[in-house]
This record gives sequence, structure tokens and C-alpha cells, in this order.
Amino acid sequence: MKQQDGGQYKGFYKAMPAPGAAVLLLLFLVPLFFTLSTAFLSEEGFTLSRVQQTFTSAYTIRILLFTLYQAALSTLASVVVALPGAYLLANYSFRGKRFIRALTTVPFVIPSILVVLGFVIFFGNNGFLNQFLMKTFSLEKPPIQILYSFKAIILAHTFFNFPIIMNLVSSYWEHMDMHCEMAAWTLGARKGKTFRTITLPRLLPSIISASTLVFLFCYNSFAIILVLGGGPQFTTMEVEIYRLARTSMDSGAAASLSLFSILVTSFLLIWYNKSQKMLARSEAYTTSTKRLDKRPATVAGKVLALLYSLATSLFILGPIASIVVRSFMASTTRSGAESFSFRWYRQLFAIERGTGHMGSALQALTNSLAIATIVALITVPIALTMATAIRKKGFASSSLELFGMLPMTVSSVIIGLGYYIISNRIRGGVSIGYTLVVLAHMVIAIPFVLRTILPEYRKMPLSYAQSSLTLGAGPLRTFFLIEVPLLKGAMITGGMFAFALSMGEINATLTLANSAIVTLPVVMYRLIGSYNFQGACALGSVLILVCSIVFIVSELAKGESNGR
Amino acid sequence: MADRGLSCAMKASYQDFRLDAAFSVQEGELACIIGPSGCGKSTTLQLIAGLITPEEGSIILNGNDIMQTPVHERQIAMVFQDYALFPHMNVAQNIAYPMKLRKVPKEKRLEEVNRLLSLVSMTEYQKRKPQELSGGERQRVALARALASQPQLLLLDEPLSALDAKLRKHLRSEIRRIHEETGITTLYVTHDQEEALAIADTIIVMQGGKVEQVGSGEEIYHSPNSLFVATFMGEGNTLPYNIIPRSVISQMGGNGFLFKPLEGKHTIFFRPEHVIIQDDETLPLPEFFTHLEFRDAQVVGCEFQGDHFRISLLWEGHQIIAHAEERPRTAKVRLGIRIEKIREFLNGQLVIKN
Repeated sequence: MKQQDGGQYKGFYKAMPAPGAAVLLLLFLVPLFFTLSTAFLSEEGFTLSRVQQTFTSAYTIRILLFTLYQAALSTLASVVVALPGAYLLANYSFRGKRFIRALTTVPFVIPSILVVLGFVIFFGNNGFLNQFLMKTFSLEKPPIQILYSFKAIILAHTFFNFPIIMNLVSSYWEHMDMHCEMAAWTLGARKGKTFRTITLPRLLPSIISASTLVFLFCYNSFAIILVLGGGPQFTTMEVEIYRLARTSMDSGAAASLSLFSILVTSFLLIWYNKSQKMLARSEAYTTSTKRLDKRPATVAGKVLALLYSLATSLFILGPIASIVVRSFMASTTRSGAESFSFRWYRQLFAIERGTGHMGSALQALTNSLAIATIVALITVPIALTMATAIRKKGFASSSLELFGMLPMTVSSVIIGLGYYIISNRIRGGVSIGYTLVVLAHMVIAIPFVLRTILPEYRKMPLSYAQSSLTLGAGPLRTFFLIEVPLLKGAMITGGMFAFALSMGEINATLTLANSAIVTLPVVMYRLIGSYNFQGACALGSVLILVCSIVFIVSELAKGESNGR
Repeated sequence: MADRGLSCAMKASYQDFRLDAAFSVQEGELACIIGPSGCGKSTTLQLIAGLITPEEGSIILNGNDIMQTPVHERQIAMVFQDYALFPHMNVAQNIAYPMKLRKVPKEKRLEEVNRLLSLVSMTEYQKRKPQELSGGERQRVALARALASQPQLLLLDEPLSALDAKLRKHLRSEIRRIHEETGITTLYVTHDQEEALAIADTIIVMQGGKVEQVGSGEEIYHSPNSLFVATFMGEGNTLPYNIIPRSVISQMGGNGFLFKPLEGKHTIFFRPEHVIIQDDETLPLPEFFTHLEFRDAQVVGCEFQGDHFRISLLWEGHQIIAHAEERPRTAKVRLGIRIEKIREFLNGQLVIKN
């Protein structure tokens, strides 16, 4: 008899992922197909000229270069800011370390529209930082004037992304044993030399991997560029695709630019994959001996550690806190003196008639909650069933895994574009519009949920299921009685992740939806566009609340599954 | 105190552990520190290397007190338990690293790398990355790298513990050979007593942060000065001293045995290989010198070990382990142990007879 996993139940394990995979296939490939066909089809039929023109035009090249340039610069700035923090977190124990560590995970869950809003509120000309500086040093003009410029883009990207590098590098660094460094000392290397020749090169895989991730984020950055760039001279691939489709109404050009963008992203992803593999290899060699916990020794070290922690907290929490503070402020007179007020919340919850875009705020909130709930409830079973097959070894499962991760290669703006083109074809009503939003969010969320569930599934020994089978439970009962309960934590985390992702999603939503369709981030975007920042802050605060709940619940679920 | 070689006396304490060790190793010697896990043997190595600092004490290497010398200037190389090969450098680069630090010219470096690689029989592996090596190969490279720094003292922290039994035996003789070729004073930490007996000139037995005994392998094995050393270095039987009057047989008169019980926990100790077994009731024990005789010992277990049988016996409620060339044919046997093979311990310490 062949000793294979699954054995006689092979059929079951083959059937399990099929529905989920089929749904994903449909949701992902159909819009992509529409996008590509739009790129290659004109009134006269099949044509290559449009794609050819897009691929070779100086305009495309300029946008590409700018996109790469801003991403590179943002990544570099993030690395420079993050490394001292990573060093601090990895090598010392000090009061507030756990707090800082928790803070560094914030960018993983915070929606980009909140980053934009927080940035404007905190760093803007009339922002909290300027107000503080002006008051303290009694200045006439705001000292920091960076909004709507290239600097703003880089700064926002850095603020958004350096905690990611700090988080990834420091956790790698922390688990790196000290033996290599000790060996270098015994071989005659000084501390500085050891750091340069041993520690830094050993860290390099994790730095490269984290930077590549950040580079990808910055490359695909949408809301930040759209709002903070403030003009056509700072347009990136994503923003340009959106602009072509929705402002110039030239779907064909948008589609062929998407094709171009997909090619570039694929290269980046291959590189990222390579860096991940490199990281995995170097990690396999690292033993996890506990490092000695030490406190900063010198006074200068202590002061530096303190300053860095304070600055980090300020940079991460400042913008978020200012959103909340600002949401409780309203100007009583036209001239603009602000005072404490519930006005925006009264408008948000429709206790008071909303002004301007605030009128659709409550609608947007309920829409977003409903959409996010549906997305979370559907994506978790899809990802779970796909994971049953993917966790096994073999060609079929690794190709399924690749397929599950495929939507990551295509940016959410491009997915949005696909659904936008579909919606143009079918011309349905509002309900069709919302359905398409749900579908687009699902495509975006599935890879993330899969990535949350899969590692937990792989950690589960195969013998659990096998012993259940020998005890007389069929594969289906084994799945529901053994595997699903064990994966509860991962499923909750994954579902929460999908929920948060959908709540904050703006890229695809903005690209695909017409003005009748409102979600929380879309209304926030419109409020920012009409300079009603306080109103946007009220919506933003609700979003922050939702994200915090999601964050806490998933951390609790994680703790539960670790405690097992 | 030798002025060449290593001589150290160190005190250090950690949460619930106190280390207070003093010993010396002569120049060119290979000394093993052995002890159960948690006895402070690795800490001792790290103290000598300078990776941690003792509260007080002295470390004198070839006449110089190196207590205040920073790690990188001590000229003490160390092979770590996990080898700590630099993962981002290949084999040749790893070995060249200490020479690069000393600004050895490139040609000389290449020459040295080749020489060291042939010393550890790894000439073909220059360009390999540590990740592509097996455990035994990593161990050799780590040793070559340590030697490349031309240390005055070489420390090895359980260098073979991560390898399988067969490879361990092979590599330990390799280490001994390389030690003889280079003549570098070497301190070797292990928890495997067989390994220590096989390669060490001197064995330092440690327990609970203290040095229990220092001596050659034979001394440690045959004349342990505490019950701990006796039972740690190989197998043995421990029985209460007061069984002697019931079992002592003194035939030739003359060298009669003087029974003299002492206050405290007074025990006797002997090795399994010194136990004589007689399984034929009709025959006497083949022993003519003064010995102890245990009649009607019950055979409770017999394991075949290849070159001998390891027999578990029960005599008056005491367990006795014996080694024999043949399997006993009856369930009840007579045991004998020559009196001069017996060691006497009082409260765990050797009782010295004058």
C-alpha cells in the first residue's frame, strides 16, 4: 500500500479546496481578464498599438521612474530611521519596551486613509506640531510647511513604514544568537569591527527582506500620493491608473498601464520571494539561544534610548491621537477659532443634519461595517478550505499556494479597475455596485487570511488528524472536530484581519465605485478633499476604534493559541 | 603554580548559582573539564575567554595576568558548541577572518588557510558556505578558524555534543591528533566521561560550581576522591559499610581486614568489572585474597552489551551491577569482590587509610 498523506481519503482532500479555489479564480481572473481585454481591444478589434504605446512612451517611463524613485527614497529613509530602534529593541531591555514593540505593529493594521489624515492633522501647516512649535517659540508662521509636496510623500511613507522595518529586523536580531559575535571577539575583533564584519552582514537578509516589503508598499502606495502629492507632477503608477480610468475616462489606457504595472510588480515580488528565501535559509542556521538582557549602561545611552522611544511614540501615536482630538473640535464662528464640540459625531450619527459630505457619513459607516462583516465571514472559510490542501507537500499544493497568493501580485487599484470595467459592462444599480465592492475586497483579503491560517495549520502535526481517523472519525468529522477547533485562534485572527482590511480599503473601492456608493474611507477621502478635516477626523476616530478592537481581539486570539 | 600554561582561580555568582573554581593546566596539555549539566563548566570557559567577568580571581596565562585584558586581546580562541561559523562567509573566509584582523598579507593568508584546511582534512571545502556543511564538517572548520588566530590557549565548548556517536569517536581522535601536531594548550569541556577519558591528559571534574578533582584519567577512574566523582566517571556499586562483617572472607590469614565503622554515612564503592560471579553452587569463588562474598544474589536482569554482559543483581535488598563474559546459568549466584578494589567513602568523601 502506498504510504501517502490522505491515503484513501485523497478524494476528500482534493475536493475540500475546490470550491474556495473556484471562487477565488472567478473573483480574481475575471476582472483581470476584462482589464487585459480592454487593453488589447479597441473598436476595430484586437490591437497591440495601445499597449505598445503605453510601454514605450516617455510619459510612462517618467511615471515609472518617479514611482521607483519615491519608493527607493522612502525605503532608504525608513531603514535609516528604523535601524537604531531595531538595535535598541533587540539588544536592551528597558521600561516601555513592550509598549514600543506593540506600537511597531500598528502600521500593519492601520488603513492608509488614516495615515493620510493623521499626517495632515499632525504635520500640516495648521497641524498640531506646527501649533505646538509656534506657541513654544512664539513664531509667526508655521515652521514646518511640507504638505502637498514631494517631501510630504517621503515623510508620510517613512512614518508609515519605518515601524515595519523596526519590527521585522528587531525580532530577527533578537533571536540571533550571540555566539558568532563572541567567536569574533575571541578571534581578536573589537566591538566596532565585530559589528561591521559580523553583526551587520548577518542582519542583512532581514534588512533586505524588510526593505523589499516596504519598497513594495511604497510602490503600490495610493491614498498617500493621491492626497499628499497634490498634483500631476507627483503621480505614481497606481494613482495614474486611477486617474486615467476615473478622471480621463480612458479605460483602455488605464488597462494597458495596469499591464505594465503588473509586470514591474512581478519582478519586485520575485525579488521579495528571493529575499524571503534567503532569510529563511539564514534563519535555519540561527539557533534561538536566549540573549542576555541588559540595560543601557552609560548615561548617554540611556538618554538616547529614551529620546528615541519618545520620538517613535510621538511619530506613531501623534498623528493617530491628533485625529481623535481634532474630531472633538469645531469652529464656532466662520473665522475659525476651534473649541470642544460633539458636532461631528452628532452629524455622523445623524442626530443633526450633516453638512456637505457628512450627510452620507452614517450610511457609509453602516455600509462599511456590513461589507467588512460579509467579507470576513466569506473569506475565512475559503482560505481555510484552501489551506487544508496547501499545507501538504507536493507540486499540486505548492501551485495552489502560489495561486492563493496571486492576488498579491496585482495591486488593489488594478483589481478595482477590473471591477470598474465589469460594472461599466453590466450597468447595474447600487446593489450591484456594492456587490462588486464586496467581491473586490474579498480578492484583496483572501491572500492575507490564507497567510494567517496557513502557518498555524502547518504547525499542527499531521498525527492529530491521523489519530482521529484511526479512532473512527471520517475525514469530514475529523476536520470539524479536530482541525477547525485547533485553528480557531488563527481563524479569528484571519477574520479580523479581513474585517480591518475591508473597513479601511480605499484603493479598489475608489477606483471601482461610482459616487452613489459610499464607504467610510471614501467619505473620509471626500471630506479631506473638501477641507472638512474635523468631520474626516470623526469618521477616522470610528475607524481607529474599529481597528483597535480588531487589533486587540486578534492579539488575544494569538495569545490563546500560543498558550495551548 | 606553573608559569607556562594556564592557572586560574575565579569566583562569580549568578541568580542561584555560585562558581568558585581554581585549577591549572600545563603548557601543551589537553585538559578536559567534565561535569553534569549546570555544574559551571561552560561558565568557566566563558570566564577564561573573557566573555563574562568574574567577581574576583586571577587568570594567568603563560605568566601574564589577563583578568583585565579585553576579550579580543586575550589570544584565547574558542570553539563554540554550535560552532558559530559566520553564515555570510564561506569556509575560507571564515578561517581567514582572524588573520585579516591581524592584517596578515593576502598571500600568507591563503597559504595559512590551505595549511589549516589540510590539517583538519577539509581541503576541498574552501568555497562552501557553513550552511552547506554537515555537523562534523562545521566542527572542523570551527577548529581551523580558532587555530588561525594562533591562540595561546584553545577552548572547546562541548565541540562534539551535536554529532552522532560514531562521528564523535572519529572526531575526538582527530582533535587529539591536531592537538599533538599544534601543541597548543587546550581546555576542552564535555559532559561525556568516555570522551574525557579517551583524549585528556588531565581531567578536571566539576560539580555545583566547584572543582571536585583534578588528575589523569586513570587517577580519576581508579582513585576517585569523592563518591560523586566515582559514580560520575563510569558505573559503580555503592553499598553501606556495615555489610562487611557479614560478607568478608579472609582466607590466607595474614592480610586480614580491619573493620572500622565511622560516624556518618559510611559507604563502600566498587566497579562492576571487578565483581566476580560464580554460578556453580558446587564450586568456590575463584578468589584467594581477602574479599567480600555475597551469597544467594538474585539475578534480576542480564543485558548483552556485545563484549560483555551487564548483569543486575539483588543481594539482601541491595542492587549490584556486575560485568561478566558469560551469561549466568542459574538465577541465584555467588558474588565476590576483592577488598583492595573497594573504595571507602564517608559522607561522600574518600576515606584515606594509612
